[in-house]
Amino acid sequence: MYLTKEEERILEGEMGWAYQTAMKVLVKLGELFGATRLIPVRSAHISGVSYKTIGDAPAEFLEEIVKAGGVAQVESTINPAGFDPEHVDEMPIPEEFRFKQSRIINLYKKMKIEPTLTCTPYYIRRPEAGSHLAWAESSAVVYANSVLKAWTNREGGPSALAAALIGKTPDYGMHRAENRQAEVSVKVEPELKGEMEFGALGIYAGNVLKGRVPYFTGLRSPTERDLKQLGAALASTGMNSIFQYGAEHKKELEKITVEEADLKKVVEELSTASEEPDMVFMGCPHCSLEEIKNIARLIGKRKVKEGVKLWVCTSRYVRERAKAYVRMIEAAGGHVLCDTCAVVTWLRELGVETLMTNSAKTAYYAPVLNKVGTILAPTSKCIDMACEL
Amino acid sequence: MAVELKGRPVVPGEARGVALVSKQSLSFLGGVDPESGIITERGHDLEGRRVEGVILCFPHGHGSTVGSYVLYSLVKRGVGPKAIVNMRADPVVVVGAVIAGVPMVDQIDIDLIEDGALVEVDGTKGTVKILREKPR
Repeated sequence: MYLTKEEERILEGEMGWAYQTAMKVLVKLGELFGATRLIPVRSAHISGVSYKTIGDAPAEFLEEIVKAGGVAQVESTINPAGFDPEHVDEMPIPEEFRFKQSRIINLYKKMKIEPTLTCTPYYIRRPEAGSHLAWAESSAVVYANSVLKAWTNREGGPSALAAALIGKTPDYGMHRAENRQAEVSVKVEPELKGEMEFGALGIYAGNVLKGRVPYFTGLRSPTERDLKQLGAALASTGMNSIFQYGAEHKKELEKITVEEADLKKVVEELSTASEEPDMVFMGCPHCSLEEIKNIARLIGKRKVKEGVKLWVCTSRYVRERAKAYVRMIEAAGGHVLCDTCAVVTWLRELGVETLMTNSAKTAYYAPVLNKVGTILAPTSKCIDMACEL
Repeated sequence: MAVELKGRPVVPGEARGVALVSKQSLSFLGGVDPESGIITERGHDLEGRRVEGVILCFPHGHGSTVGSYVLYSLVKRGVGPKAIVNMRADPVVVVGAVIAGVPMVDQIDIDLIEDGALVEVDGTKGTVKILREKPR
């Protein structure tokens, strides 16, 4: 792998331990995956934030980086944390967990990394098509590559942090055009109605593709919201970083057909509970302004049922811009939470046993990560279940 | 004479110690207790064993990238492995070994290493020497 004089000096430790360590990580990954050099990135998005998910181990490393003076060299954002400090009534998290969570966020802040605490950083700043990024958070990676046409590998927490500190990433994988080409044509037979069905398609395709790049046909004018659910689910069951979509593919590719029954089966399998939900959760990945507006509209004049929590999760940035709709949702008895989501918080400790959601990704992970039963359903059905008639 | 296995250098450094060998992939996040270095993954062939001070040999890593930080913590607390030998290096383990400074070699047929054998790892040259089979 070719390194400039400056990069070599950093690798030798001239800029201190923090940058040296970050450079070592990038160079080692580059060598492992056949990169030729480091390329500048427009931004980094870092996972490994929720104390619920990561525990104590990362804080020790982050602390050493801070002590050694490590500071991000490009726009850098972070994934959601374990709770929303402005909704502690709704999330009575033990003091010790809150303290440890705040410590992790503060360490990132000291590295001049923005405490965006969201998995949809693209709603805050939309990356330009063709720009190179170093993003972790698999749902954001697929969205960036497939919908926004930016270029990023599926980074892990540590490699995204290393890229933030250096401002560069090795040029392998998704940074090369040849690796972004479709390998399998996936013909979607049924007309998908709404984001939940797009999520089900993602779960199914991730399982059968075995990491190969799909080209979806038969998606009739999907919205960005639909594509977000498709990508998030695809990345959950597959190691995919990108999908393509459109009319017939020009090249002759191996063909897979997805039938209505395949998706029905996915939805059934992701609905593990038969009880009524005690929580209805929307916002995996974090909601856009448009989604919050839609939820407010679906609730209308109804009230959230006694004994049911309605959680709508988003970033502070979007919540601030959706104020009118947030007021409508809260007036109905729902909660619009920031900085966190149902999956990265202590759900069982909040007394939740059955979770209903429109997100296939959440339905896939919550039984394992949160030990709750799940019901996967379309957005309107979720809202109907949350509200009184 | 000692048997020398030739692999690929991943993280430089030398270490000598007793091999702890698994046939299964290992996830550091959730699979190894960061406080004690005890392998906690249910049903793993090394469940209950300690990674402290051993030459840890396993096919490859799996699971969350937070696992890299767990490896760092283990080493920082003095309960981590002395070196890592893999069949196929994956990014989680490689990044963990880099930030923790643990010598690492991959592309080694770990079936040739017996659990309990005394081995010497050279992460600069990419070799694993079997000095003595497990004492019987």
